[in-house]
Amino acid sequence: MCPGTEAVLMEEGLSSLPGAPAEGPLEQLARRIRAGEVEAFAELMTCTQARVLALAWRILGDRHLAEDAAQETYLRIFRSMNTFRMGERFEAWMVRIAVNVCHDLARKRGPLPVPVEALAILEGNAAPMGAEDSVLLDQRRALIHRALASLPQAERSALVLRDLEGHSTEAVARTLGVQPATIRSQVASARAKVQAFCARLLKPTNGGRP
Amino acid sequence: MTVHVLNQLSLWVEGDLSASEMTAIDGHLAGCPACREAAEDLRASQAWLRDAMAAPFNASDHERLQQRVMGQIRNEVSPPLVRRFIFRRPLLAATAAALLLVTLTWTHRRPLEATPKPLPWVPGAGTGTMLPPDPAPPPTRQASTHPTPPRPQARPTTPNPPEIPARIEFQTADPTIRIIWLAQTTPLPEPTPIFEEKS
Repeated sequence: MCPGTEAVLMEEGLSSLPGAPAEGPLEQLARRIRAGEVEAFAELMTCTQARVLALAWRILGDRHLAEDAAQETYLRIFRSMNTFRMGERFEAWMVRIAVNVCHDLARKRGPLPVPVEALAILEGNAAPMGAEDSVLLDQRRALIHRALASLPQAERSALVLRDLEGHSTEAVARTLGVQPATIRSQVASARAKVQAFCARLLKPTNGGRP
Repeated sequence: MTVHVLNQLSLWVEGDLSASEMTAIDGHLAGCPACREAAEDLRASQAWLRDAMAAPFNASDHERLQQRVMGQIRNEVSPPLVRRFIFRRPLLAATAAALLLVTLTWTHRRPLEATPKPLPWVPGAGTGTMLPPDPAPPPTRQASTHPTPPRPQARPTTPNPPEIPARIEFQTADPTIRIIWLAQTTPLPEPTPIFEEKS
């Protein structure tokens, strides 16, 4: 779907020289956009918007706010395309912008919304053994959302980037502008809090795990 | 005495430790049921985390986002040329508007009242003779900028005065620039001799 594969580049005579750093499809699209080809931005969005939307939703915890964040992210990317340094990984640059946008929106919004209706279900039945599987799954999801909402913003972002987006600790550190040791500490704390949150509300009192 | 590894499990669960540390913890878990249970709980919560945080967006959400963003980007890219051309040059814009208005006015042949009427200049005027309508040499811009002083004797009294050029003035945004437009709306009449030949 995305252009810029090595075969296409060979046909167009744009293949990178031997020994030169390989330029991926996103970097090729960035080059076209910087050259004034606005429609290449639509191709860039097609390649990346699923990840940007998911990242924004995981950090912000709200669907509509995530859509606003994704839109603002792409507008910032387009407006600051000239500041992107060719040779850098475009995806890392894009994720950095997306995280900054999410943090800006999170600061404006205030504390994360908590899905209280899901918690009420859990508190009414702390041992959901014997419940329908779909109900149990919904409860688990609501519980995870609540657990994430209880995390500090820095820990939540580190956890999302490291465990849900799959970035390395070093890459997360570069994105968030902190030391890798800080990221390790933040994700360890966040994992332990999520697990404790789930254990407190889901673990059955009379044996067995849901 | 066994040293538990509970504090390291949240890093061990995603492989964030060095290889030697991972090996040491694996060895401990093999012989410690308490730490093993805690490790299993942590693995379960991580699996739930990934399951619960699967993005809820579908293709229509992606399409809608792309339309919104591209619409805004196209708006941002195209209008500045027009804005720069028109709104950043008020004099040019005023001139263009004035010329457009003049053209429309001329097309509709609307008579204008405040038009100064240049009178025909006749050699030897002042004798009190009535003059025929001016053969109307085409008025020039120079003639209009230096109009001949009106002479009472030369004021036309014929019922059908000749067509004279319309003089339309527009003040531009710049107070020092005024646009003056002279327009002839009908074909010029055939020239006729001023004085009849004496036979």
